[in-house]
Amino acid sequence: MIAADKVASDVASHFDRMKSEGCSFADARLYDEDSSQRLVLYDGNLESNTSSIERGLGVRVLKDGAWGFAATADLAAVAACFDRALSNARAAAHLPGFPKDMGLPQPTTGSYRSPVQKDPFEVPLAEKLAFLKGIDATLEDKTIAQRIVWAAFQRRKIIYWNTEGTEVDRWVSNVFATMMAMAPDKDGRTHRRSVELHGDGTGTRGWEWLTEPKWFSGHADRIKSELAEVLAADPLPPGRRDLIILPGQGFLQVHETIGHALELDRILGYELSYAGGSHVRPEMIGKLRYGSEKLNCRAGKHQNSPGTFGFDDEGTPQRDYMLIDGGVLVNVLSSRTDLGEANELAGREVFTESGSAARATSFYRTPIDRMTNISIDPGNDGTLDDIIAATEDGIIVDVPVSWSIGSNREHFHFGTEIAWEVRDGKKTRVHKNPTYQGHTLEFWRSLDMVGDQSTWCLQQVANCGKGEPNQVMQLGHGVPVLRFKNVQTGEKE
Amino acid sequence: MLESRIRDLLLAARKEALNRGLNAEFSLHRERSNLIRLGNSSVALSTYEELTRLDVSVQDGRKVGSYGLTADITSEGQLLEALERAAENCSAALPKDYDPIFAQVEEAIDDSSGFDPELESLSAEAKTALCKQVVDGLKPKGKYDFSGSWSSGSAEMYMTSTANENEAYRHLTDSRFVMVLKEQDKKWELSVERTAKALGAFSAEDVVAEFATLLPVYEGNQPYATETGRLRVLFGPQAIAQLLSLALWGGFFGRTWEEKRSYTAGNKPGDKLFSELVTIVDDPSHPDVFGMPFDFNGLRRRPFTVVERGVFKALLYDSMAAAKYKKRPTGHDLSNTDFVLSPGTGEPGIAGGLDAAGDALYIPHLHYIHMPDPTKGLFTGSSRFNAIRVQGGRFTQPMVSTRVTDTSPSVFSNITTMSSRSVSQNESNTYGRREPEAMSVPEWMLCDNVRITDVADSF
Ligand SMILES: [Zn+2]
Repeated sequence: MIAADKVASDVASHFDRMKSEGCSFADARLYDEDSSQRLVLYDGNLESNTSSIERGLGVRVLKDGAWGFAATADLAAVAACFDRALSNARAAAHLPGFPKDMGLPQPTTGSYRSPVQKDPFEVPLAEKLAFLKGIDATLEDKTIAQRIVWAAFQRRKIIYWNTEGTEVDRWVSNVFATMMAMAPDKDGRTHRRSVELHGDGTGTRGWEWLTEPKWFSGHADRIKSELAEVLAADPLPPGRRDLIILPGQGFLQVHETIGHALELDRILGYELSYAGGSHVRPEMIGKLRYGSEKLNCRAGKHQNSPGTFGFDDEGTPQRDYMLIDGGVLVNVLSSRTDLGEANELAGREVFTESGSAARATSFYRTPIDRMTNISIDPGNDGTLDDIIAATEDGIIVDVPVSWSIGSNREHFHFGTEIAWEVRDGKKTRVHKNPTYQGHTLEFWRSLDMVGDQSTWCLQQVANCGKGEPNQVMQLGHGVPVLRFKNVQTGEKE
Repeated sequence: MLESRIRDLLLAARKEALNRGLNAEFSLHRERSNLIRLGNSSVALSTYEELTRLDVSVQDGRKVGSYGLTADITSEGQLLEALERAAENCSAALPKDYDPIFAQVEEAIDDSSGFDPELESLSAEAKTALCKQVVDGLKPKGKYDFSGSWSSGSAEMYMTSTANENEAYRHLTDSRFVMVLKEQDKKWELSVERTAKALGAFSAEDVVAEFATLLPVYEGNQPYATETGRLRVLFGPQAIAQLLSLALWGGFFGRTWEEKRSYTAGNKPGDKLFSELVTIVDDPSHPDVFGMPFDFNGLRRRPFTVVERGVFKALLYDSMAAAKYKKRPTGHDLSNTDFVLSPGTGEPGIAGGLDAAGDALYIPHLHYIHMPDPTKGLFTGSSRFNAIRVQGGRFTQPMVSTRVTDTSPSVFSNITTMSSRSVSQNESNTYGRREPEAMSVPEWMLCDNVRITDVADSF
């Protein structure tokens, strides 16, 4: 196996070569180790018991305003990888547009380690399986038709270098887990109730987090009993009413109608043919009323989240900054490369620095603008009980079942696992088949209550998809309880 | 057949597994992929990846463990280590409550019929040049920006197991071209797609001509926001493929049917489910699809009829569902299937669809389609590129983003006519590995009483 030191010296010599070839910038990411493991229990049967490892190098070069990227798992072939990236950049430059530009050099050195007490990869497989089997046993019941309990672990050791002298090394660890119970109602329609490993954004993210009952295993009995309530419930009648969203659903509302809409590559039209565009335009920064004045949304740096990684894949130290401040759009998710183009489109300087959101999913994918931790700040409207007490006619919804969003993120339709009716300040009964839909700006402008810190919860996203070639990314959303006025809920037919 | 350097290592590892008394399966995936990404009328990025992935599974009675490696395969040591890791995972596994089916390559397969060396080596320069021709041909005609992508490359898929001496191998090339034209002020978006298995399947002139047929409708007419309710819809190829995917996913997977979670749960083979115009076959021999000759349980894939003239014929069982529910696996241990929705008898060409439609909504693309309720087959998704109002058999106004929320059984029962000509619709994704997938669908499908539930104020 070729050691990282040898790759580093090879990369340095090829950086010099790329500069002599006229490249304005080049960078390289060595995934010295990219380990993952996925364990799935389905009705108690171990249906996935897989571990895997990837190792390789990804190289980007910027020449004449265009990017070339190449990747190889053959670390004896670093020269060929640089050659291929250079020839790709040359080809791209045959159809030039607004020149890609990294701005002023930002040489950085540093390192990052995800906070972990007990590395899940050091925990014996048998111990992991025993833990998951224990949760499965709790879910097992004659009223439950299917049970799924799964956990996935990632450990990445990444070294980043660029021609500005930046060198950053990172060990990034992730743990994801879900439990789900399913059963049919009297009409034969299957319903489900689930919970994912979540947190409060603090603490560490190793095996110790997964095994802390408060954040995962302790919810098994609750989801079982809530599923029983759903099975006995009437469907949600259609109508306009207030909508109270718990963090288990709120994270996806934020993800789909704020996060994706604020990715600069989508805003500039670079994702149109696949993921889609955005209703946001660069000139709207500082002007667009995205939501009510209760809406404060940030790209955060929570200690314990898959959206926290120290430095992005251009070596930019991760920043904590507002995206929506008092309801007004003030920033977007960006990398270094498109800021000039966005400023020109806006007709003024709306962006001065990278949003530290350049992220790649593996050594063989190039960094693109991604979500990090897109979080809503807690508000001043009290606890969940306070919000319920202040609601005359509404529902509380939790955990997505389905999601469908317009290609510019301008409208959406969500289905959730459960809804609780709220009448005259009290939770009255459960409804099944809840759905709601709306138009993004109108919806966020109808936000009228934001729960306090006691309602705020960090939800993980293990599989956000975007980009061509496709990339699956991990990120986080911290969300309090949110209340929206007069929302279209339920299905009319 | 796979390069002998790697094949010999795999066969040596298989022999070592046999010597150690292990039931082991080995599969290898190798790709060479190039993609150019077009944004704002320029090629903003060009990528190349050359990757080899090895997957090893070991089975011991009711216990199974797997290990995957993405690396350049250069030594027997790497393979033996992968085998060892899979064996360790198997050893620590929990036994299943059924007998899993061990992979066995049914017959030796060595298929490079879909490989075109010229397409494999299609350069980023050549792709950029074609995109430039399209941009140069259309950009002067309006305030247009172009984006899109063009992915091309080759994939090799190989498997063998200790169950017998057989090896299965597939080598193919594929290309997917998508170009989107966006009007800078009015913000509407048009798209043109091309799928190919070999070089030279399309030209810049074709692409320009297809955009040119749509542009007058978009340039010359006000946007249309339809009423909601049950309406007549003329679906185009990408939307049909999306509807077909959901109909299959929600209704015809053995596991979900056995667990009564599919909209067909109350039905059995022989029941009438859809309009008699509907015949659905997973047919690797069809010329419109990429045609995967084996699955990763080792079965030879043959044409497999799911629905015939509206009647439920069979369910798809992968080896896991088959083992659990004591059924025969059907060759569906793979993600790149080859589904064909048989064409109808309508006049070919979009003109035939417009004539048949009279007044309708033309929705050729459905974006972000999802099933809130698989037990009813309820889906929702919204229109995207190229959606146009049809009046009196003519395209009249571009449509703003329009949401369709209906059920698979309803849509496939309400088909009135379909084109007699089929097209290949690319359904590949590249989240993991290059595994080209296409469906063969009629170029148009006319349905009555499709439920439209929401209309946006933009395209
Ligand atoms: Zn996402």
